[in-house]
Amino acid sequence: MSTPLVELHELRKSFGPLEVLHGIELAIEQHAFVVLVGPSGCGKSTLLRMIAGLESVTSGTIVMDGRVVNRVPAKDRGIAMVFQSYALYPHMTVRENLSFSLEMAKTPRDVKQERIESAAGILYLDALLERFPAQLSGGQRQRVAMGRALVREPELFLFDEPLSNLDAKLRVEMRAEIKALHQRLRSTTIYVTHDQVEAMTMADLVVVMNDGRIEQLGPPLELYDRPATVFVADFLGSPAMNLIAGTVAESEAGPVIDAGDDLTLPLSPGSAVRPGAEVVYGLRPEHLRIGDGPAGLAATVSLVEPAGFETHLHADVGGQVVRVISTERLDAVPGDSIALVPDTARVHLFDSRTGARL
Amino acid sequence: MNATLHDSEAMTARERSAEFGKRAVPYLLVIPGLLFVLGVLGYAVAGGFVLSLNETDMFLNKTFVGLKNYIAIFHNPRFQSSLWRTLAFVVLSIGLGISMSMMFALTLYHVGFGRRFFRGLSLVPYFVSGIAAAVMFRFIFTTSGGFVNYILTTFGMEGPSWLGNPVLAFTVSILANAWFMVPFATLILLGGLQTVDKDIYEAAKLDGSSGLHTFRRITLPLIKPMMGVSLIWVSYISFSTFDIILALTAGGPGRATELISVYMYQIAFLELDFGQGSVLMVMLLTFNTLLSLVYLRFFVYGDRRYKVVS
Ligand SMILES: Nc1ncnc2c1ncn2[C@@H]1O[C@H](COP(=O)(O)OP(=O)(O)OP(=O)(O)O)[C@@H](O)[C@H]1O
Ligand SMILES: [Mg+2]
Repeated sequence: MSTPLVELHELRKSFGPLEVLHGIELAIEQHAFVVLVGPSGCGKSTLLRMIAGLESVTSGTIVMDGRVVNRVPAKDRGIAMVFQSYALYPHMTVRENLSFSLEMAKTPRDVKQERIESAAGILYLDALLERFPAQLSGGQRQRVAMGRALVREPELFLFDEPLSNLDAKLRVEMRAEIKALHQRLRSTTIYVTHDQVEAMTMADLVVVMNDGRIEQLGPPLELYDRPATVFVADFLGSPAMNLIAGTVAESEAGPVIDAGDDLTLPLSPGSAVRPGAEVVYGLRPEHLRIGDGPAGLAATVSLVEPAGFETHLHADVGGQVVRVISTERLDAVPGDSIALVPDTARVHLFDSRTGARL
Repeated sequence: MNATLHDSEAMTARERSAEFGKRAVPYLLVIPGLLFVLGVLGYAVAGGFVLSLNETDMFLNKTFVGLKNYIAIFHNPRFQSSLWRTLAFVVLSIGLGISMSMMFALTLYHVGFGRRFFRGLSLVPYFVSGIAAAVMFRFIFTTSGGFVNYILTTFGMEGPSWLGNPVLAFTVSILANAWFMVPFATLILLGGLQTVDKDIYEAAKLDGSSGLHTFRRITLPLIKPMMGVSLIWVSYISFSTFDIILALTAGGPGRATELISVYMYQIAFLELDFGQGSVLMVMLLTFNTLLSLVYLRFFVYGDRRYKVVS
């Protein structure tokens, strides 16, 4: 196994008296596509900027290629960054934007030419090289920003919410392009977003952050299937997981969750839970089925959202709103009484006090 | 069929006029002010131009003389030397003024604190009349009892006669002029610096550029329009400065600080030759206008960012 390209140890950052990162521990393998995801203000940008060398380190170490780089200036870290605002040089043409860093590095003329041509080819910028940023569309500017990173042939690419200024359709397109580019170039990438769909679809490794800490990290589907905390469970997946607080109780059929208001949620018979424990019962919308008969949880439809391939449904179950996804075309209308059958094998239980998975 | 077509056309015409009305409002609001300014300015300029083509006696009777006043002035050695003196004064003032303004603006941009205080403070020179400013500078540079020489004496040095020596008096005039024009130019440049997206500097940093190089390749080109505006301001003030010089040195010693503006005052109001005085006014106006056009061309409209490709 190769050594990781980037290692963060006990990394902390304070702005004045306010600590915003509380000891980040992270290793990033060569060629990985790592996505930092979390709600606004959780410290994603700060962490990325520390790795870039744009923000000083309060304590802890940043190791790149086995070398501590805490004090290495940004330009010598072998990284390139794509900013949310693109930060293109407005007074330079696309070509000049691309060549600026190469000029700085005193790259020979022919190499420079070659790299610009190649980046322009990869990113479909050939026809735009003599234009100024003001004459480009949002998506084109985004490409130039990536091109500017690409020509430097960095060891590490950093992206800070690069797609958030694009419209929905373009965002999906660029998402695929960035992913394809990574699969082609295999350059190690750290990508910051608050969009969990981007995180899920692009990452090899998702790092979910919350309030200056890493909440959980792992491959996207692992996080989706086995969220370690209520926070991660709630954050990943759209529509979000149904989370209902309750108490473990006994019944003839085994343990169940008593969620008050005569609402009893079934568990799979083998669940190893302590009766009386306060828990959060989690079930993804796609793991609730609309039953054919009366068996299941009695529910009243409150909202139907046909999304084409699937139908999203909000239903009232014992006073709680429950989200359901069905891949069948439903003819339900608000007010209908239905029965919901949970797939008990897919239930997630969390400690309601600590939020940790049980 | 015809009727509906006609109707829909009538609709769009009405909509278009409503649209036009909405867009015209700001212009309509500006027109009275603009007319007033242009009227006064136009009257003065036209009047000055007419005067420059006439000989006016002390009873203000005019006789048309064509270019006689121009020819007389251009052959006058006093005018020729004041012209070169003015050009030197303007060039040095622009150089000093712009570099000081840039330094102050950069300092304020990076330091941050006191920015708002300075913004208020920087208007002080414009509340003080040029005469008062000149008096202040006299206090500072008077040979005996002046502030600078007092300081020099405490270090055991004998201060020179600042306003008695031609070169020093010229230098002090430039300083006084700078004192007057730098604050506002600083504000313009500071405004320019603040329009630049901070991410751009970080991108440049990652690209390996820093310090002076970033200033030259990124900052300067990006604040070019504001640089143009402050150049217009600084040049205009330097060409037209008059009250400061008059009260500070009265053009002396000898004629060491006699700029065209000062010469104009003396020829028009002391020698009462309105014709030749107006020639100088027309000249100053032409200089200022041409220079402003050059700045606008190269700094504001020549900005590559706004270049449109076909
Ligand atoms: N220069 C700064 N000075 C003081 N506090 C800062 C500074 N930069 C960031 N912070 C604080 O640090 C915390 C983390 O900010 P950061 O920008 O890293 O969040 P983020 O996760 O990128 O959020 P977003 O998704 O909104 O971009 C926030 O509480 C923010 O207020
Ligand atoms: Mg951010």
